Amino acid sequence: MTKIFYMIRKEFLQIFRTREMVAILFIMPVIQMVVLGFAVTNEVKHITLIIADRDNSRLSREIVAAFSNTDRFDITGRETDVREIGLDIHRWKAQAALIIPNHFGRDFRRGLRPDIQMIVDGLDGNAAGVSVGYAGGILREWAEAQARQTPRLAMVKQNTPQLELIERLWYNLDLRSAQYMVPGIIVVLLTIISMLLSALSLVKEREVGTLEQLMVTPLSRFELLMGKLAPFLILAFIEFFVVLGAAQVIFPITMKGSYALLSLEAFLYLFTTIGLGVMISTIAKSQQQALFLSWFFMLFLLMMSGLFIPIANMPQFLQDLTLLNPMRYFMAIIRDVFQKGSGWQYLFTDTWRMTLLGTLIFAVSVLRFRKRVS
Amino acid sequence: MNEIAVQTQNLTRRFGKFTAVDRLTITVSRGEIFGFLGANGAGKTTAIRMLCGLLLPSEGEATVAGFDVYKSSEAIKKNIGYMSQRFSLYDDLTISENIDFFGGVYGLSPALIEERKEALIEQVGLGDFRKRLTRDLPLGFKQRLALGSAMLHDPPIIFLDEPTSGVDPRARREFWSIINELAAAGKTVFVTTHFMDEAEYCHRVSIMRAGKLIALDSPGKLKESYGRNNMQDVFVALVNDEDPRPEEQL
Amino acid sequence: MNPRRVAAISAKEFIHIIRDPRTLLIIFIMPVLLLMMFGYAFNLEIQDVRVAVIDDDNSALSRQLIERFEGSPFFTVFHYQGSREDLETLFLERDARAILSIPENFAATLIGKHPAGIQVIIDATDPNAATSINNYCRQIVTDFNAGLSGGAAMPFTLESNIWYNPEMRSAPFFVPGILALLLIMISALLTSITITREKESGTLEQILVSPIRPGEIIIGKVLPYILIAFLDGSMILILGVTVFKVPFVGSLFLLALLMALFVLTALSLGLILSTIASTQQVAMMLAFVLTLLPTLLLSGFIFPLASMPLPLQLISTIVPAKYFLVIVRGILLKGNTIAELLVQVLWLAGMSVVLLTISWRKFSTNLER
Repeated sequence: MTKIFYMIRKEFLQIFRTREMVAILFIMPVIQMVVLGFAVTNEVKHITLIIADRDNSRLSREIVAAFSNTDRFDITGRETDVREIGLDIHRWKAQAALIIPNHFGRDFRRGLRPDIQMIVDGLDGNAAGVSVGYAGGILREWAEAQARQTPRLAMVKQNTPQLELIERLWYNLDLRSAQYMVPGIIVVLLTIISMLLSALSLVKEREVGTLEQLMVTPLSRFELLMGKLAPFLILAFIEFFVVLGAAQVIFPITMKGSYALLSLEAFLYLFTTIGLGVMISTIAKSQQQALFLSWFFMLFLLMMSGLFIPIANMPQFLQDLTLLNPMRYFMAIIRDVFQKGSGWQYLFTDTWRMTLLGTLIFAVSVLRFRKRVS
Repeated sequence: MNEIAVQTQNLTRRFGKFTAVDRLTITVSRGEIFGFLGANGAGKTTAIRMLCGLLLPSEGEATVAGFDVYKSSEAIKKNIGYMSQRFSLYDDLTISENIDFFGGVYGLSPALIEERKEALIEQVGLGDFRKRLTRDLPLGFKQRLALGSAMLHDPPIIFLDEPTSGVDPRARREFWSIINELAAAGKTVFVTTHFMDEAEYCHRVSIMRAGKLIALDSPGKLKESYGRNNMQDVFVALVNDEDPRPEEQL
Repeated sequence: MNPRRVAAISAKEFIHIIRDPRTLLIIFIMPVLLLMMFGYAFNLEIQDVRVAVIDDDNSALSRQLIERFEGSPFFTVFHYQGSREDLETLFLERDARAILSIPENFAATLIGKHPAGIQVIIDATDPNAATSINNYCRQIVTDFNAGLSGGAAMPFTLESNIWYNPEMRSAPFFVPGILALLLIMISALLTSITITREKESGTLEQILVSPIRPGEIIIGKVLPYILIAFLDGSMILILGVTVFKVPFVGSLFLLALLMALFVLTALSLGLILSTIASTQQVAMMLAFVLTLLPTLLLSGFIFPLASMPLPLQLISTIVPAKYFLVIVRGILLKGNTIAELLVQVLWLAGMSVVLLTISWRKFSTNLER
């Protein structure tokens, strides 16, 4: 055991002697946290909109006002000529246009159900769908308010029964994107740091030749790997708390669950990522290749983790494939602990699957890592 | 410890179709300085790696310090010191930290590490530099330090893979005087080199070509039997005259 | 400029590239895998939301309402039998993402011409999904009311007209993004690494003592990468158009021309990095932070720029991929002409000129030292 102590001490000496390393460990993640935290969102806001109010009545002006009072849409122009509107969308001046027809107010009051038209640039299919949804919502709300003011215009005839929907949102009442995304980003940062650093540190020793020297010492394979990896496990763990703290200071998010439970889960997760690091180090011949491979791995882990593409949306075979992605489990765990305050009994399935996967990855990597040269 | 330090019988290593070491049979006794000569790529490093337990042989037998290379490579590692041709200390650690580390890894007690560290620093003459980063040392000092670090656990057998490449002549001479002292103290030194003048310092030398052993004797006897004045000429004679297929030399 | 010397450098560079099959494999396999992954996985529209129903009324009307939920493609409905106190377990176990609760006397109230309330509880951990679920529920309730009254659902109709991509597929959106990402990776990342590698190993000095001029070295070194970039880019476009059915409305010639412009911008970025970085390690880290991440995050590739706070939007104005994405999407889907893309073209051209001038100066002074 004392041999491992010497290994760990040496690794820490090396890490803290390099100033860049300290920056990479403790400053970079916080910067990345800020950029990613603000950039990674699946919210669609500020859709640029042209309004064509051909009616210009009191009612149509109310609709225009309703559209300008939301941050979902930014009204960028008013134009009644359909040809001009088309050209504006074609030339990227606006993403959508709302056309209120002539005599809209009059027809509306007469109950003739006038036709409001919306043109949307469908390049970004998701944004297009969402903006039609938003527009529908704004119009429906406006119409309901009208109905209350002037019952004559109500959507339903008087004296017919009506169903009212009472909505209750649990956990994230203000529907803040950060509350959902930032914990996910903590997972991403933790993965990058632990996987990349353990891979690079092993590959570097091989490149320089010191690994060969270590291999002829009586250190067992276990001692050698533990001595190399324990420092990164410890550092990544400290890292986890740094990022966790920074996230709560920078973003308006709350943590509902138990820190002890979350730390335990993070610790289990780190075994899988460090195992992946060892795996990469056994494949890569140089630090450059290790970096490429990590970036490649990372992209796949990330896409398949549910960070911004919900796993339930994927076709079945991809959903099955995500079962092999350790990041998927920790992503779900951290989000549930953060928002729902879930106890261990609810995270049990995710935890054992993640741990099993981690053990497998770790075992395979350690077996692949020979104490011999190839 | 028996009198035979290293023994091999038809030791062979292939990489795919390429045979790096071909049926090598040697016996090295305790206290001997055994030189391993050959052109680059002749199979010296591969042979030494097999003996250190870094590489499994494809065929043949070998024992080091009485331990079998197949079954007991971990036991071998406790009994050998190894210094590879690439510099093998940590550049970004100080001299003192490097010695602490290797001592610790070999399982020495802190007191023993301290004692041997002082002795080593004294011997290499680095007293004032112990807190300096290793990368700032001249290469000659680095090599002697690396040798000292590889021997902190006082192993009976030492493998040196081209220990003096890139070192200036004076430092090389000093290095070899250390090797002589070690052998006088009863240690077995197994050294590869491509400097033929260094071959003269060895008790016995073996010459390899294309993985095969083509000569094995003391430098004196080799010079005599080939009728040359120095090992350089012996080597050239061996490589040129007796090579039936020179294109296979690599 | 001596073409023979440039050719010699290019030939040498080609050998380097071919001798490193792993990197080459990554360059050509990665886009294919990325395309496949995005093609199958990139779907932000929520689907298959499990709804737990508590029907305390169990009347014909309440069953009618539930049928409407069952009929929606977005919901998978199941009846909740457990205790009312443990409702939250449904969310904690992730068994359901919404709970629909219909009270007793629901039908009686409605038949008695009184408004009846139903409750829907939504797991809002994912705010985006929660918004969609909420919208779909409202839609169903509105339709249900319309059915009850036998009248129109709304006093107006909203007719939406989706242009360029009527089925709102994701492929036309992400294929240009992958193109930009790969071109940046090859042109900026690889070139900066290859030039730093020569600096590190000292071979650059070796070349410099030959009669060759700095400009010839640079052109010679980047030529092979330009070729690879174009091969890779064409591969992505061909796959995008054939396999992922991305429309190609505009001019192929214009696209090729502007792709060359983007490659030039990316190359000048790579050159700048190589003059700053002293080792490959530093070059890689810089390239990673300054080229790959911004292309992925701050270009509009996946995440809408308009939703980001102002500082990030400001940074995005100097991300070349932002303009290139508009160009590619515009030419492929809208059939934009160069006049319509003038702003983007000018930004890219301007950036190239500035970056090239700086790196040219830095490079020649670096070499003379």
